[in-house]
Amino acid sequence: MIVQPYAENALRIIFGNSIDLKIHDRVRRAFFICRALKHQYILEIVPSFCACVITYDEDKTSFAELADLLRERLLDLSAVEMPPPRVHEIPVRYGGEYGPDLAFVARHCHLSPEEVIARHTATTYTVYTVGFTPGFPYLGNLDEALDTPRLETPRTRIPAGSVGIAQRQTGIYPFESPAGWRIIGRTSVRLFDTTQSPYSLMEIGDKVRFYEVS
Amino acid sequence: MTLIVDLGRNGYSDVGVPTSAVLDEFACRALYALLDSPDTAVLEVTGPRFALQFHDDTVCAITGARVLAFLDDKPLRPWASFHAGSGSVLRIREVREGFRYYIGFGGGIGIDKVMGSYATNLECRFGGWQGRPLVGGDILTLTPAGKAATRYFPEDMIPAMSSPHRLRVISGPESDFFTPSSLSAFWGKGGAEFFTVSTKLNRTGIRLEGPPLHFRDEAPRSIISEGILPGTVQVPGDGLPIVMLHERTIGGYARAAMVARADRDRLAHLRPGDLVGFEFISLEEAADQWREQKKTMDDFPALCR
Repeated sequence: MIVQPYAENALRIIFGNSIDLKIHDRVRRAFFICRALKHQYILEIVPSFCACVITYDEDKTSFAELADLLRERLLDLSAVEMPPPRVHEIPVRYGGEYGPDLAFVARHCHLSPEEVIARHTATTYTVYTVGFTPGFPYLGNLDEALDTPRLETPRTRIPAGSVGIAQRQTGIYPFESPAGWRIIGRTSVRLFDTTQSPYSLMEIGDKVRFYEVS
Repeated sequence: MTLIVDLGRNGYSDVGVPTSAVLDEFACRALYALLDSPDTAVLEVTGPRFALQFHDDTVCAITGARVLAFLDDKPLRPWASFHAGSGSVLRIREVREGFRYYIGFGGGIGIDKVMGSYATNLECRFGGWQGRPLVGGDILTLTPAGKAATRYFPEDMIPAMSSPHRLRVISGPESDFFTPSSLSAFWGKGGAEFFTVSTKLNRTGIRLEGPPLHFRDEAPRSIISEGILPGTVQVPGDGLPIVMLHERTIGGYARAAMVARADRDRLAHLRPGDLVGFEFISLEEAADQWREQKKTMDDFPALCR
């Protein structure tokens, strides 16, 4: 674990440099510990694949002071009792108007569309991080047989609920938004709701399984 | 475009919610001080034409870009508050310096907060005014306020906003991805080259054109996505920097530099075609300058007379 200054009022806690469930588990533990501190000078915590970025109130604390505290509290990550991850079962309509890139992905991977769906629904995914837009879960790891590059030119607008894949990841677009991932299906599940807490259906460490509906 | 903004939607970046904050915080805080209405919703406007009719007596103020503004036929002093009588019309006829200007009202705009903020998340269409920019014909309700005195902001403290923009930067986490010669061309003291602001510019980021930064041969062309901050200078594979603003919480491009917090508000005033030059400073210098600027902003209420 490395704690580094990032900006006048922000620091990075770095746990590794690859997309890996062990590193993810340490990031998640660190995030839960930092959040549970309810430290009044910690303003934002952004956990991602390999790091947490913390923004703090620089009038009340300093990098050195906060870094010391974090090094002490995050010394033994394995000692922390973690809540079991929530599991989300997500119904998806694959292909056709819902998944315009399913045929491309199948051709690219030398599989039938049915095999793509079978492989996409066979994996239990982990939420590595939430971002891009509010509530967008970065899910891994995608079956390596489905590894497909991003679109060269992103679409400017895709419907909310679109399920995309890119390289070894899959994700769900909570809002109508631009999208560079290959869209293979769509879900009617609402991933983000500004009117009720918790606003985001998913958070780091949750598990996700997709199933096909027609 | 006219958007409702405030100091930002804070505390939800762990689930990808950006702050969507006002781009020029200095101008926004000046507005709050002029109107004695802290933490209210204000208008962030771009474009040379804007008009608004008052249906009630109110106090109004304009800060940010220097504009040619009139209340009916009376020219208005910049960065000052004024009484607007029922039926009067506020018109902006020209933007003389800068890009975004801010209009606020005593008492603020009477809308509900979404997730703790009035700011508009334009991409996801929530917050602000029905999640969208204001259009002709919209009618805003103002929160009633006591009769406030009119005030003005000290003229010599209104920041410069015109091109060329000199922005101080601190080193970014991946600055070592780039060759030393291209880094010194990017942020070298005195000798830095200028970039041109492209037309690819919105509240998410500003794409610059100019001498590309060169990746070292062994450096990856992207990173595993990680938290980013407003003012992060991201560099995609083509080497042309993108200055990120307030609409993303994570990013996957190499972060060559971060615009110093004390210079971040200037980003609100970059217009297509403007020139931008960067200057490297240490994190300690950046922190000192930011502390000074914050002290100045804390003094705004006393400075507005």
